Amino acid sequence: MDPNVNGQLQRDWGWLIAAYLFLGGVGAGAYTIGAINGLAAGGADFSTRVGLWVGFPALLIGTLCLLLDLGSPVKAVLAGVKLKTSWIARGFWIISAFMALSLLHLVLLEYTAVRGAVLAAIAVAGIVFAVGTMAYTGILLGAAKGIPFWRTGAVPVVFVVSALVTGHFTLLLGIVLFGGRGMAAADALELMTAEAVALVVGEVLAISFFLQAAFKQPDSRESAERILRRTSFVVGYAVLGLLVPLVLMLVLRYGLEDAAARGYRGTAALGAVLGLVGGLLLRHAVLVCGTLPTWNIAGFQFRRIARPKEPKPGIGLLPPR
Amino acid sequence: MPRYGMVIDLKRCYGCYACVMACKVKNHTPPGVFWSRVLKGERDEYPNTVRQALPVLCMQCEEPSCQEVCPTGATHTLDNGIVVVDKDKCMGCKYCMMACPYGARYSVEDWESYFPDGLPLSPYEVFAKAYWEEHSGVGVATKCDFCRDRLAAGDDPACVKACPANARTIGDLDDPTSEVSVLIKRFRGTPLNPELGNQPKVFYLAPR
Repeated sequence: MDPNVNGQLQRDWGWLIAAYLFLGGVGAGAYTIGAINGLAAGGADFSTRVGLWVGFPALLIGTLCLLLDLGSPVKAVLAGVKLKTSWIARGFWIISAFMALSLLHLVLLEYTAVRGAVLAAIAVAGIVFAVGTMAYTGILLGAAKGIPFWRTGAVPVVFVVSALVTGHFTLLLGIVLFGGRGMAAADALELMTAEAVALVVGEVLAISFFLQAAFKQPDSRESAERILRRTSFVVGYAVLGLLVPLVLMLVLRYGLEDAAARGYRGTAALGAVLGLVGGLLLRHAVLVCGTLPTWNIAGFQFRRIARPKEPKPGIGLLPPR
Repeated sequence: MPRYGMVIDLKRCYGCYACVMACKVKNHTPPGVFWSRVLKGERDEYPNTVRQALPVLCMQCEEPSCQEVCPTGATHTLDNGIVVVDKDKCMGCKYCMMACPYGARYSVEDWESYFPDGLPLSPYEVFAKAYWEEHSGVGVATKCDFCRDRLAAGDDPACVKACPANARTIGDLDDPTSEVSVLIKRFRGTPLNPELGNQPKVFYLAPR
């Protein structure tokens, strides 16, 4: 049976929306951490530059993914109309403000001599909207009443933490690739591996809490079971995207310690790439494991079965040629 | 102005799918799109198992979560209580489909053939596709609207008219003397999963 007929599983949001949520998180997370580092350094450091060069383009590509998913993209200009009630409309304005601020920040930092209070003010405003963007990617799902798996306060927490983790890994990768081999880059790299450990541990706790809460609710239990049966979630996200980067960062922090050590940069880059792929797989798995609630009336439970992978020919259907 | 609601008597429904087919014929919905559906459920263990059919359609909620999340204002409620989608405003984000706990909304990119192996559209399908594109739109959210064109003409919706068991009744919920109001009051009609808080205007009379 077709799930669009029986509808137990949602199949309308897939990779494009997952990429939109992922890139929104990566861009906003990288900008936030980079901008905070810059404010702490009294201006801008290398991570601020990486965050700026990642922030705006990531959001731009993410928005293009959303546009590609729309059934009628020419009407996307109307997306911000119902600001009062719709999270997509709110997200439209939050992301627009973040993109404008991050682009302004990038242009001022890289191509003008503007510094000091003006740049700091733009950075603070950018951070506010970047945090809003990270939260929005989770709240968007949390506000969807039709999917009990998503309708929990844990989803925005998971997505915000994951956005910070993936943003952090992006900065780490940027420093490995473009930061040079000087002392400043080595110091930054060592600090970032330690921060990565803390952030990944935070994500482990958040995802554990989310899945445990989902198991407790009868309507979302099926989704929780489905997600734990998905290879892309268990192997791709939990093991390769979370556990392996955590182990690699721990080894770098407490095993090698010195960023000048052989293999340090390569290991850090590997951990960062795995963490980024894991972030995308997490969002896709959360999306495609969403199921409609079970309907109850007079002691009857009405559940809709999922579609078999290949439709079987039956009475009235032509046999395959 | 009446406030339309529907009552479905589950004692009468025996799951013949006439409502499903009548809806398809009336609205020319493409493959995979069923504005009116019939689900089958079971209760108790063998040998005391009881089967029951559950016809479902858009519940025309008083507090429609689809309308709440719609970013463009395409989904709105008419004065007669029917929730509709303005195809000229809908951008096809599918958020309303995620927000509807009754799975009543559909969006299709194209009207594809009912027949397999890439066969060209039959003459009926060509007509149905043109009707669908004119009335419902392509790539936008679509849903049951209680056949509002038929209601405006003084007729019943196609599913109500087609039901051989007279399981469905439509009428004015604001009129205490209407058949729907009397049925709901006398037989304690309840909506599906009222705890969801959408306040549906489709009520069910309990099976035996």
